Amino acid sequence: MKMPGGIDIERLYDEHAQPLYAFLLNFARNEPDTRDLLQEVFVKIAREPERLVGVREKRAFLIRLAHNAAIDLIRRRGTRDRTKENFAAEMIFPFAPTDDPDEKVYREELAAALGELPAEQRAVVHLKLREGLTFEAIAAALEIPPNAAASRYRYGLDKLRGRLRPLYEEIK
Amino acid sequence: MENFEQRLSRPPLKPIPAEWRAETLMAARAAQPSRHLSPVTRHSRLSTINSPLTILFWPHPKAWAGLAAVWILILAVDFSTCDPSPRIAEKSAPPAPEVMVELKKQQLLFAELVGAHEPLDADRQKRFAPKPRSECGELLRT
Repeated sequence: MKMPGGIDIERLYDEHAQPLYAFLLNFARNEPDTRDLLQEVFVKIAREPERLVGVREKRAFLIRLAHNAAIDLIRRRGTRDRTKENFAAEMIFPFAPTDDPDEKVYREELAAALGELPAEQRAVVHLKLREGLTFEAIAAALEIPPNAAASRYRYGLDKLRGRLRPLYEEIK
Repeated sequence: MENFEQRLSRPPLKPIPAEWRAETLMAARAAQPSRHLSPVTRHSRLSTINSPLTILFWPHPKAWAGLAAVWILILAVDFSTCDPSPRIAEKSAPPAPEVMVELKKQQLLFAELVGAHEPLDADRQKRFAPKPRSECGELLRT
């Protein structure tokens, strides 16, 4: 399905939906919200395909759209639903299942530790570790200064290290 | 990247549910026409009307425009003059027979009142004797 500007929405989905899904699931910590947000991103692109024309880093651009959509959703919900959101954050499991018991325990602990991070630190950690983006690219995607991206990453990593150290040492 | 970071990035992420693809693309398709189909459609619809008109008027468009203007002028003049004509027709319509009879009666009564046994206008014409042309000329000069 070609759109004005020669953008193929199906190809775009096949190339970018999985990483966007992982980012949104990690950020929103809620499967139905992730589905709505992902759909919102692709609907936005379908509606305004000219936004992608001339964009070199399509992944970073789509992550920015997804991040903005997620922020809007959190704002729309307001304070009332935050308790519910935190509960969902503890329950979400963003990793693929495994048969290895040690690995299973590790993934569960990592999922819980990630859930304890503030959403903005979690987003930076995810983009750095999973997408391999530089701090400049993360800063551009999340519309924050590069220094803020770097500091959020360090804070997040320290928290994860502290939280997972006993388990990590045990597994190692 | 240190060992800890590598360990963090190792677990494979949950795959996106397959059924999301169809519904997301369906939503995207539904969103697309409302915004982007319209210029193309408008163009094609306009062109379907435009092409026969172009074939018809292409040779001398100014002449066709002039002809249209003349017709508009004729229609305008026709409209402006069509209103008074029925009134004129009404005015020039022959009087009813009853009115004619009444007029005749009044004319006879007037003649009787005047007292003269002068013939009516209709009779006077019958008795009129034409004069020679020379006398007519004299009459006209006086």
